[in-house]
Amino acid sequence: MAYITNTLTMTVTGERIQPASDVELARAAAAGDSSAFEKLYEQHHRRVYSLCLRMLGNGTHAEDLTQEVFLQVYKKIGSFRGDSAFTTWLHRLTVNQVLMHFRRRGVKLEHTSEEGDFTNVVETPLQSTRRISMIDKLALEKAISELPNGYRTVFVLHDVEGYEHEEISNRLDISIGTSKSQLHKARMRLRQLLNKT
Amino acid sequence: MVCTQCQELLSEYIDGALELGEQVNIERHLADCESCRALRDDFLQIVHFSHQLPLQSPSPALWSRIRSDVDSLHSGVWSRPRRWLARIKTLRTLNFNLSIPQLAAGAAALVVVVSIGAILSQRDGRSLQPAAPSVASAEITPLSNADLQQLEKQISSLSETVEQKKTSWDPELRTEFERNLYYIDQSLVECRHQLKNNPVDDVSQELMLNAYREKVRLLEGFDKF
Repeated sequence: MAYITNTLTMTVTGERIQPASDVELARAAAAGDSSAFEKLYEQHHRRVYSLCLRMLGNGTHAEDLTQEVFLQVYKKIGSFRGDSAFTTWLHRLTVNQVLMHFRRRGVKLEHTSEEGDFTNVVETPLQSTRRISMIDKLALEKAISELPNGYRTVFVLHDVEGYEHEEISNRLDISIGTSKSQLHKARMRLRQLLNKT
Repeated sequence: MVCTQCQELLSEYIDGALELGEQVNIERHLADCESCRALRDDFLQIVHFSHQLPLQSPSPALWSRIRSDVDSLHSGVWSRPRRWLARIKTLRTLNFNLSIPQLAAGAAALVVVVSIGAILSQRDGRSLQPAAPSVASAEITPLSNADLQQLEKQISSLSETVEQKKTSWDPELRTEFERNLYYIDQSLVECRHQLKNNPVDDVSQELMLNAYREKVRLLEGFDKF
């Protein structure tokens, strides 16, 4: 039979010691166990920060928002029921916080500009055969951060985080067609930016 | 099919979202067009590597900041004044020309908030603590109509008094108030929209309740000017 240790960072099942699950940590944190909350932070802060960073395109703002997210986690942890994965719950909370941040700042999530109209592509293709190294991933990160807000939000949600257009349209209050169009334009712009590097 | 038509559909093509007929047309075009093939290959690379981006790390100091926020929450009585102190700091940085009576009213508001916070914290020490993991707290706590009506009634009453007072405010103070109110109202619109799509979305329910409470606090704060 499994039982939980004082610090709730480990559980013992039979003879094997295993790290405490997110649900156990969340329950302990809700009961006021600060070490459990710290453990949740240790396990998930990079994912939260990365999502904020990619959606905002700015490291300082991403840290501020990560701080807000974990403060919200601390306040709301009691409402986490455990019937969905903690990571899913945390992910939704993070996306909601980023979108509310955009709304507070009056950021338009539907980007419309003449620059977004890419037709007759004749640029040099990326070298498909070259080996993509860490430098290329850094270039991709940089290019994503240079996208206009509307493009970047849809691109990060779809291509990085794996959201479907329907969910993006619901979250951003835009049509599915607009979500598809923003994604296409984001990819086109990324291609342009990557070809410059 | 010409290049522009093909390129417009390429994103949906690589996402596998096209009808079979459109897919076949694109594949025929790609077989003959090097430029469009290059675009397809680039898109495929962008999508492929976007799925594999490494996680980034914030500065190590971030945990200290969060820890500090959490500690200030634990001393519940200080949390509301801290928030209003931050707002007053913001007002100061915006160089508002507040009169002595206005500043006095602001200070009085702060005293009232501290007093109320102290009373509340004595009456219910858990008010600003995370909920205990009881069976009841683990359940979702939906916004009841009674809660909402109570908050809306409070907001309506406060709005009336603030509207009357607004006419005597400094234009910058009025702008600041309206900007904050706009942000909160936008948040409420967002939450309502989310809840319309998913009425049991617990995160949106929480955010909506927070937005309502924030609106009450905003109105209460500016009611003192």
